[in-house]
Amino acid sequence: MKTLLFASLLVLGLAGCATPPETSSSLVDRQELKVDPDIIYAADVTELFQKRVEQPGGGSLLQVQFAVEARSDADMAWKVTWFDANGMVVQGVGEGYRKATLLTGQTRYFTATAPHERVASFQLHLREPR
Amino acid sequence: MLIRAVAISISLAVLAGCAAPTRYIDPAADDGPVAMTMDYRDFEKAATEAVEDMLASGAVNNPDGGRSIMVVSRITNDTMQRIDTDQLTKKIRVSLLRSGKVVTTTAVGLNGAEDEMTKKARELRESDEFDQSGVQKKGTLQAPDLSLSGKILQRNHKVGKEQQVEYYVQLSLTDLASGLAIWEGETPIIKRGSDKSVTW
Repeated sequence: MKTLLFASLLVLGLAGCATPPETSSSLVDRQELKVDPDIIYAADVTELFQKRVEQPGGGSLLQVQFAVEARSDADMAWKVTWFDANGMVVQGVGEGYRKATLLTGQTRYFTATAPHERVASFQLHLREPR
Repeated sequence: MLIRAVAISISLAVLAGCAAPTRYIDPAADDGPVAMTMDYRDFEKAATEAVEDMLASGAVNNPDGGRSIMVVSRITNDTMQRIDTDQLTKKIRVSLLRSGKVVTTTAVGLNGAEDEMTKKARELRESDEFDQSGVQKKGTLQAPDLSLSGKILQRNHKVGKEQQVEYYVQLSLTDLASGLAIWEGETPIIKRGSDKSVTW
């Protein structure tokens, strides 16, 4: 009985120490570019641009373009996650990573367009496919 | 007899233990092996490229405001596989609907309405059993502005000791008022692998 009480208190104590998740309405300071260490050895992100593409009849869509320069032959996977003005995820067409192959010295340019006009920000993730 | 039965049971148990366990695959984090046939990742790639390009081009925007109405026309499967082309078109439809720019009609189709209930519900006009105030009125259906059509092609080549399979997902978006293709796209999906792989 004592053990059970002690364990419960310990769990409650640890839960109290845990970092609380961001719950306020203020925007989380989210990195626009996340590159996994595995891919850094083989390639560099040399450019990351964003612009709003004006739509006929009003409105605009966020468009992202980035350039990757390869130091050696490499495979990479990338994905853009879209967020609205409140920081909530806006679902895109696919959920998976897009694969790309880079040749040594090659610079490749990739573009992604937001799935909805309410998209206000993004996060680009580059990783090495297993 | 008993010895044989025991031996068979043990063999089956050992083989079952060696089999890969059945598991769920998360499409958002799937680094699994690539198939020579078209799999869900290929459809996702083709749909993503098509939708992003359609949205960026502004082709789906209704010049009069509001949403464009699209109908899905013929998507020809010219591959050696049995493909349900809805696997591609559904992704495109869902994404265009979510974009807030396009809505797809299910009341019109090349082989009849996709949802025949639109017509069936109107047959209730003749029935005394139904409260006629809730029955759909004449002239409420919306005609499509845009038509999505396309083709999925497959070409096989022998490259050295390997096999190269090329798939091309070709799509066109036609403005039904003018008959002009206002957007077109092609996504090549090229795979190279064992010559022993079967692609049908």
